[in-house]
Amino acid sequence: MHPSLQSFSPQRMSSSSIRFDNFLDRESSLGVLLMLPGLSILAVFLAYPFALGIWLSLTDTRIGMPGEYIGLWNYIDLLEDDIFHQTAWNTMIYALVTVPFKAILGLGLALVLNNHIRFSNPIRAFVMLPWIVPTALSSLGWFMIFDPVFSPISWLLIQMGLIESNINFLGDQVIAVTAICWVNIWRGIPFFGISILAGLQAVPHELHEQAAIDGANKYHRFMNVTFPHIKGIIMITSLLSIIWTFADFQLIYILTKGGPANQTHIFGTYAYQVGMSATEIGMGAAITLYMFPILAFFSILLLRYMRKSA
Amino acid sequence: MEKLNDNQPTSISEETSEKGMTRRQVIKTGATAGAIALVGGFPYISSAQNKTLTIVRGTHFIPEAQEIAKQQAEEFGKQAGVKVNADFLNWPDLQPKIGAALQAGGLDVVELWPIQNHLYANNLVDMTDEAEEVAARGGGYEEYILNSGHVGGRYLGIPHGTSAGTIAYRISAFKQAGVRNADNGALLDMTWDDYFAIAKETKKMGMPFGQALGHSSGDPIGFCYPYMWSSGALEVADDGKTVLFDTPTFEYAMNKFIQAWKDGYDETGTSWDDSSNNRAFLSGKICSTFNGSSIYYATKKKDDGGAMQADTHHMLMPKGTAGRYYEVGTNTMAILKNSQNIDVAKEYLKWWFQPENHYKWWSVQEGYQLHHVKNLSNDPTWNKDPKMSIFKEVPKFGRLRGFSGDPNEKAGLAASKYIIVDTFAKAVQSGDAKDALKWGQRQLERVYR
Repeated sequence: MHPSLQSFSPQRMSSSSIRFDNFLDRESSLGVLLMLPGLSILAVFLAYPFALGIWLSLTDTRIGMPGEYIGLWNYIDLLEDDIFHQTAWNTMIYALVTVPFKAILGLGLALVLNNHIRFSNPIRAFVMLPWIVPTALSSLGWFMIFDPVFSPISWLLIQMGLIESNINFLGDQVIAVTAICWVNIWRGIPFFGISILAGLQAVPHELHEQAAIDGANKYHRFMNVTFPHIKGIIMITSLLSIIWTFADFQLIYILTKGGPANQTHIFGTYAYQVGMSATEIGMGAAITLYMFPILAFFSILLLRYMRKSA
Repeated sequence: MEKLNDNQPTSISEETSEKGMTRRQVIKTGATAGAIALVGGFPYISSAQNKTLTIVRGTHFIPEAQEIAKQQAEEFGKQAGVKVNADFLNWPDLQPKIGAALQAGGLDVVELWPIQNHLYANNLVDMTDEAEEVAARGGGYEEYILNSGHVGGRYLGIPHGTSAGTIAYRISAFKQAGVRNADNGALLDMTWDDYFAIAKETKKMGMPFGQALGHSSGDPIGFCYPYMWSSGALEVADDGKTVLFDTPTFEYAMNKFIQAWKDGYDETGTSWDDSSNNRAFLSGKICSTFNGSSIYYATKKKDDGGAMQADTHHMLMPKGTAGRYYEVGTNTMAILKNSQNIDVAKEYLKWWFQPENHYKWWSVQEGYQLHHVKNLSNDPTWNKDPKMSIFKEVPKFGRLRGFSGDPNEKAGLAASKYIIVDTFAKAVQSGDAKDALKWGQRQLERVYR
């Protein structure tokens, strides 16, 4: 026997093998083992970038240049930045104005889809399209629809004699903000619709029948039977939607790149402009981290609600 | 608790898969395979691959030139035995892509816009020898290249000129508006007042002027900076700190622009990007705009019997109270220091700048791309079409971003944040030049503090 193999006696191999097998047999240790891949992915792709982002925001790092620790200077400096003020305001409008519209229109959609209609399954799949199609692709479609020179909407309204010149969809502050909110609502309605539809289908029929026997009309049945059952879903989808909308990027980057005159910048697009285009990556990180407390607040709210519901 | 012996099945290992493996075996096998992949698998895969040279450039507004650049990259790849990926990005996306590569790697050769060689100076390979060889072969660099191509006396890449812009116009519309010598753009020497007066007339005729003022890095900057300079304002003084933006002369000029915007421009320009004015001009919606010669080039391809080509001409940028200016600096082909293929990348650039290769790419653009070396100033390309001769004059009036300070990272920051462009957009939206200039001054002071 080769000298190096002498240490691997059958006795020793079997005892180490037993120990390993026992390790795998214990639910607690196996659980940790099975969690490790997921945990590693979270650590590498979530925790590390997040920690790095916090560190960068405390430095004056520029792309390709080492930075120095400057404490909270980036955060303080942003408070004096007009564009940042506008960005924060735009983000609030974008996230908070769009969600009620998405919730109400999504509820309406769900109520319609909940009726027994012909081809209900293809119709349900069709209304999901805005949600399923990649945002970058659908935003490009809207970019063409809102084209300042060749917009089909402007063309149609001019042909109908309702307007004289093209609508400046993405070049006028009020219209541009309305346009991006409109696209966000269009994209978000199916998510609300399908989620609420799932809730509607779980409402027991008997309750409706009993309420009808007791003389409740459609409105009362909706308010007293249906709504209490779907209230939780509306709450959860609204909170999720606020979080996603706050952290949006693609839609606005494609439609306006934050213009005109920064009037459609939200945190994500402004951070990208400052961090990646203007190379001030420390400042860019600080802009995104201003989102963190707001997102954390809504996330905690969401988790607390879900735990309470459970 | 009862101790398990070697062969005693456990509650877990009793569950077998369809192939007869216990769960324990599956875990062991998976862990072993994973370990092999981590320790030995990935290095094996990467060492078996050929080298890949990744080139990123801005998209070309002359499609034939982009096709040639792509073919040439492939041809070099075949000759050098390397795989070449050549990507052509939307102009505003180029800088973020380079920024990401500087942090994480992945790119070898990049095309830099003017002053980006200053912005990324610490991260670019010194190519002074190669750049000077190109200059010597071509009879020396043009002056605008000498002013903008190097950083602290070193060439951090090889300059290859730029796509200059000027005023494109429809001859018939100008004639109708009463412009003398409209047939020959070379004879038109206007002030901004003259130019805006024509806009007012043509808008009445249903064909306004057009100008992009959106967040796009070509035409909006190419128009706004020269207009600012021509009114005597500066982004920053030569001390690199004092912002001279909000001046009475500029306020006066901005008020004129606001009025002209209402009277003579397509007011949707606040959301236009670099391609919007091309499309508007080519579809007959506007009759004049600031642009490269790509509009004129596209008129040649139009299926209208040459009508629009015959009706399109170029003229110099109008003059303001402080003179006539253009924003001109050179683009540079550079190699990132964190490239894993610096030698191959250098060979590629040396090969691409050989006269036979570079000329093929340059000449097909018929003057859209300003030449970089003096020998090309007398090239027959410039005499092919008199309507293109204006572009050769552009560098005479050229200034770099950040003038009269250094073209440094602060000038890059001001441009990347579109501060000057946004000042114009704010002014025409609100109609309040004073307020817009105050905003611009404040923003520039934050940059140049």
